[in-house]
Amino acid sequence: MKKILAYATGGLIIWSLVAASVMAQGITPVSKYTLWIGNHYTDFADYRGKVGEYDRGQERWLPEFILEHVSRGEGQFTSFKAHYFDENNILGTLTSRVGSRFQADFRYRSSVPQKGQDLLANLETREAINGNPGGKILTHEILDPGAHYSVHRRELEGRLDYLVSPSHNVKFMAAHKTTLQSGTEQKTSANHCFSCHVTSNGVKVEKVIHQLTAGLQGDFGKHTAGYEFAYRSFESKTMAPTAYYDEAKHPVNGGSGAEFTSRQNFSDTSLPYGTYPRTEKVQHKVRFKGPLGSGDYATSLSFSKSFNRDTDLDGTSWVGSVSYAYPLDVRTRLIAKLIGTKLDVDEVFVDVPTYRRGRPGPQSEFDFTRYSSLNRFDLRGSLEVIRRFNEKVTGSVLLGYDNIARDDYPVHDEGLTTSRFTGEIKVRYRKGLRYSTAIKYRMEKTTDPFTSGRGLFEARGRDVLNPPAANFAFVFYYQREGLRYQNITTQPTLVHIFEWESSWKPDKAVNVNLGLKGKYDKNGDLDSLDVNHLMIQPHLALNYMPNPRWSLALGTNYSHAKARGPVAVALFDG
Amino acid sequence: MARKPKVLFPLIGAIALLIIASSAVPGYGSKTGQAPPEAALVGNAACRDCHEEVSDAFAGTIHGLTADASGRSAGCESCHGPGSAHIEAADPALIHNPGKGGQFEQSVCLGCHNTEAFDSWSVAHHNRGDVGCADCHKVHAEHQAWTPEYVQKTCYNCHGNVQAASFMPSHHPIREGKVTCLDCHNPHGGPVRFVQEETGRELCLSCHPEKEGPFVFEHAPVNEDCLVCHAPHGSVANNLLVANEPTLCLNCHAMHFHATVEGVDGAFSVPQAPDRAGVSTVDGWKKGMLTKCTQCHTQIHGSDLPSQAGSTAGNTLTR
Repeated sequence: MKKILAYATGGLIIWSLVAASVMAQGITPVSKYTLWIGNHYTDFADYRGKVGEYDRGQERWLPEFILEHVSRGEGQFTSFKAHYFDENNILGTLTSRVGSRFQADFRYRSSVPQKGQDLLANLETREAINGNPGGKILTHEILDPGAHYSVHRRELEGRLDYLVSPSHNVKFMAAHKTTLQSGTEQKTSANHCFSCHVTSNGVKVEKVIHQLTAGLQGDFGKHTAGYEFAYRSFESKTMAPTAYYDEAKHPVNGGSGAEFTSRQNFSDTSLPYGTYPRTEKVQHKVRFKGPLGSGDYATSLSFSKSFNRDTDLDGTSWVGSVSYAYPLDVRTRLIAKLIGTKLDVDEVFVDVPTYRRGRPGPQSEFDFTRYSSLNRFDLRGSLEVIRRFNEKVTGSVLLGYDNIARDDYPVHDEGLTTSRFTGEIKVRYRKGLRYSTAIKYRMEKTTDPFTSGRGLFEARGRDVLNPPAANFAFVFYYQREGLRYQNITTQPTLVHIFEWESSWKPDKAVNVNLGLKGKYDKNGDLDSLDVNHLMIQPHLALNYMPNPRWSLALGTNYSHAKARGPVAVALFDG
Repeated sequence: MARKPKVLFPLIGAIALLIIASSAVPGYGSKTGQAPPEAALVGNAACRDCHEEVSDAFAGTIHGLTADASGRSAGCESCHGPGSAHIEAADPALIHNPGKGGQFEQSVCLGCHNTEAFDSWSVAHHNRGDVGCADCHKVHAEHQAWTPEYVQKTCYNCHGNVQAASFMPSHHPIREGKVTCLDCHNPHGGPVRFVQEETGRELCLSCHPEKEGPFVFEHAPVNEDCLVCHAPHGSVANNLLVANEPTLCLNCHAMHFHATVEGVDGAFSVPQAPDRAGVSTVDGWKKGMLTKCTQCHTQIHGSDLPSQAGSTAGNTLTR
């Protein structure tokens, strides 16, 4: 962090010198400084918030200040703002434009989301056998009771734009963003056998994200072409926490160790858990835009590759998009959009110990090759006609079609293909900037929507034993393929959305909103289960902002949600 | 399960009706005006003679302060075109006024604002909705930084339902000023809706890359679409979930096997041990196994480490 701050400070100083030298060539700049100094105190009496995730206050007096600076002159503009709320909540922005070719933007912001602590109190029970305690046990243990979890998030970002050639609109840009997260968060580890024992502990967090972007664009006649490179890395700097996984044995009498151990992937050992892999991602993107016939087109093609450095797994992505806006007449436009995405992720062979290894009777090999659920070709297109009836009324009709062909989900080489038809009609009335109202209706009809292809955490594509194996009169739960490979989903096959939004600005500083949003969806493939969701959300809001330093937001919204899902049926004994 | 959509013809009919109905509406003529070819540049001072208030305010804007990147005259005539004919005839029709043109007249702004962020403007959500540059940007007013508060006010002018969602108990810190609409959305257009990235999933991963993987053990909806489980603008459920656990999980997964103990062929019942009150209660197992799935399945976004249970091939995302 110190390095980053040093670089940032150095960069700002250099930039200020450049700006000053250019300013000296022009007229005397006008500068304005504003310093706000004060204190704040937050009272948490009667505080009944859930976690207060983003509540920033502390129960003590804290100094607070805001420094603002704006300077302007011929060919130069600088705007700076720093807001110190407390040591964890700081915001700083700097925008500077020098001459007609340079522009720089910097921003720093920090916050501390509160994470709360799950006391795991529900994890304390024991089954009964014939009215007596016995059998399986579920317990929990908090190793740091009363802990306060939070993660300090800091972001520093900058962007430079340079106009290389005004005549050909050749522009270069470079941007960087660093995100640091540090603090403590709750991690739980679960022993599956011999008792189900969940242990909670505080774990240090130190995550670092770097993003770098650079691009170049230029005009060729009436067309613009551009190239952009992007890089992103993620790394967790803390050592992975470890947990001891119990020696497997019977939960009541401590016996049958070998039998229970043979059903676990590991037992009586300490292993890391809750890790974050080191990942990197690179992206190359080319884009073109310009006039075509009487309309305008924009198209782009990008290729990206993501790397999991801990497992050597790679994922690739191709994304191509084309859009075209064509004026049918002076009041009517046709808009066509098409975007295609091809995603591929490395397959990986998962080798796990034989189930009931070394035991008499049936054994099972659960090794499998993981084919990624991300593998797919996704094609989405839409066609829209927009008509401006007069100065105040605009109407539009949209038709869309999506096709998502998954290669390996839920089963390898037998992927699920989802197709979705969309229709939307919208009418908007506006009277200048003072009043507007819009009504929209949208309908989506989907065949074979995304489903959980693995109903109960089971690996897909595995052979199943059915009927029961020799010497066993019952079916293991993992053998119930009808449940494992369920093809039902609660994702909707039919969606209706209605939206009404109106906005009234009686004054430059005041805005009043009134609206209603309603959504109803159902899964037509599950008529017997009558899966549906209904949401109705009316809202009223008043925003008052007499100047940039004062804002008041008042509002009320009512959300009515009703969901009816499949009955979670009783299954079986584990 | 595949069914033919039955709404195609009604929608095509609606398009036809829209076009036919609109033909009966009187024509909407352009009010934007146009400078004649012979008009010449006159400079800001000449404009100020008549438009003093606007001209003075404009002098403090970033447009008024910086030279025009396109090489044209800096100032009023960069956007309004040469003003000599307009001044001589005092005719508003002889000067270009792009602010009167609404959605069809954005080319003046796009002449300079032509970076990648504006590539999709011609098909952008706002443009299609008849929202023009001047609806959000005050071209003649003094510089106004896009502070979090100002961004909110501008966007909430029209998107009241999003403002309402941001007041839900779980929300991105928009109203706290830590995140702005512009962190996720490009109001000038984007390939998908108007998010900043090429796909919705990629947008979320740009701030939450630890959830990207690729992982050895995956959770399919994470790859499918973050919106399967999350409502990004706000939710009554924790962690921006569309519904709290375990309801959300049970939408796809059948009930956990330890929630019952009688076996699949037996009746649904709950273990009871009245003599162990407070430890094993009537609803003890339901409470334990049907309260919060992520207490054990912590790595719900994916993991590289196999879990302990053998029959699941390490695939339960508990480690």
